[in-house]
Amino acid sequence: MTQVNLKTDEELIAEFQAGNENAFVELVDRYKDRLINFVYRFLNDMTDAEDLVQETFLKVYKNKHAYREIAKFSTWIYTIAGNLARSELRKRKRRKTYTMSDLSYADNEFTPVDTDKDTEGIVFNSYAGEEILKAIKNLAEPFKTIIILRDIQELSYEDISTILDIPMGTVKSRVNRARLKLQETLSYLRE
Amino acid sequence: MQNNECVFICEQFTEYRENTLSIELKSQVDTHLAACSSCAKVFQELGLVLDKLKQLPTLSTTQEFTNILMARIQHLDQESVLHRMYNSSYTRVAGYAIAAGLIVAIGLNIWIDPVSLSNPDRSPGYAVQQQSNQIPQSKSFAGQIDSSSDKTEDSLKIQYKSIDSGSQKLQLVNDSE
Repeated sequence: MTQVNLKTDEELIAEFQAGNENAFVELVDRYKDRLINFVYRFLNDMTDAEDLVQETFLKVYKNKHAYREIAKFSTWIYTIAGNLARSELRKRKRRKTYTMSDLSYADNEFTPVDTDKDTEGIVFNSYAGEEILKAIKNLAEPFKTIIILRDIQELSYEDISTILDIPMGTVKSRVNRARLKLQETLSYLRE
Repeated sequence: MQNNECVFICEQFTEYRENTLSIELKSQVDTHLAACSSCAKVFQELGLVLDKLKQLPTLSTTQEFTNILMARIQHLDQESVLHRMYNSSYTRVAGYAIAAGLIVAIGLNIWIDPVSLSNPDRSPGYAVQQQSNQIPQSKSFAGQIDSSSDKTEDSLKIQYKSIDSGSQKLQLVNDSE
């Protein structure tokens, strides 16, 4: 197992393509938390986010031979998860359903307490953190994606460029504009 | 109040923070920030926002996440095995064989018994039965009616006899009383 941990993602996916299921389990362990943090910022619902991350891994499992080592495994899996998240958001818009987190804070008279999921509690405990999440949520989709990828997931500009299939220059300018939008939204916090 | 230069300087903030600007551009931003309080404030606040973003707590999947995923994959594998079986060449060959057998059976049936095809209400082998049940040419249709009327008379006679025997039984019962 220690030997498996030393392997790169690309080596693991190659082993999985050759039929080693343990390599797939190792990839799941490496990426499940990273992806939940990525997807949750889009959906703002832990259950939906877990379902979507499961779907992402199922897609990787079913389409393992679609991966070619011309790109990093991380960019491939983030692309799959990002596409699924965006498509889920589009579906939600069509359905026009509203969850608790979709309500404004004035409407949100009580906070649902889930003892099994302390993580969500931690996220909403800090007022500033809460406001930042709200501000990210209200960003236009391209800005939201870029902020999540760059400032929360801390991916490189190169990886983001591959995931979003846009030139590196566009990535940089979009990151800058998205940050300025966030700063503008949150400036009242310091007044 | 921001002017065009302010807008241009703000566009450089990300790279300025990451120290990836050219020396000339970096010096231009430095000079502007020293002179423009509005841009300096934006830059300072941007730093605070980015620090907060880094401090956002990280989430974790539930403990059962991997187990649930692997169970779903197992289910997926079973489904794909069935799907492969369904689409396998052996299954296709078996299907062709059954179809060919049915065609041959229908063809033979038509060849042996062509009447049943033209008149589906008749049972198979009707032609053979018809030959054996054919009425002799010598008997006329009237003769058939006569013979059937004779049969009717015979059955009436039998009924009368049974009624008579019934009344006799009744008489015997009355006598014994």
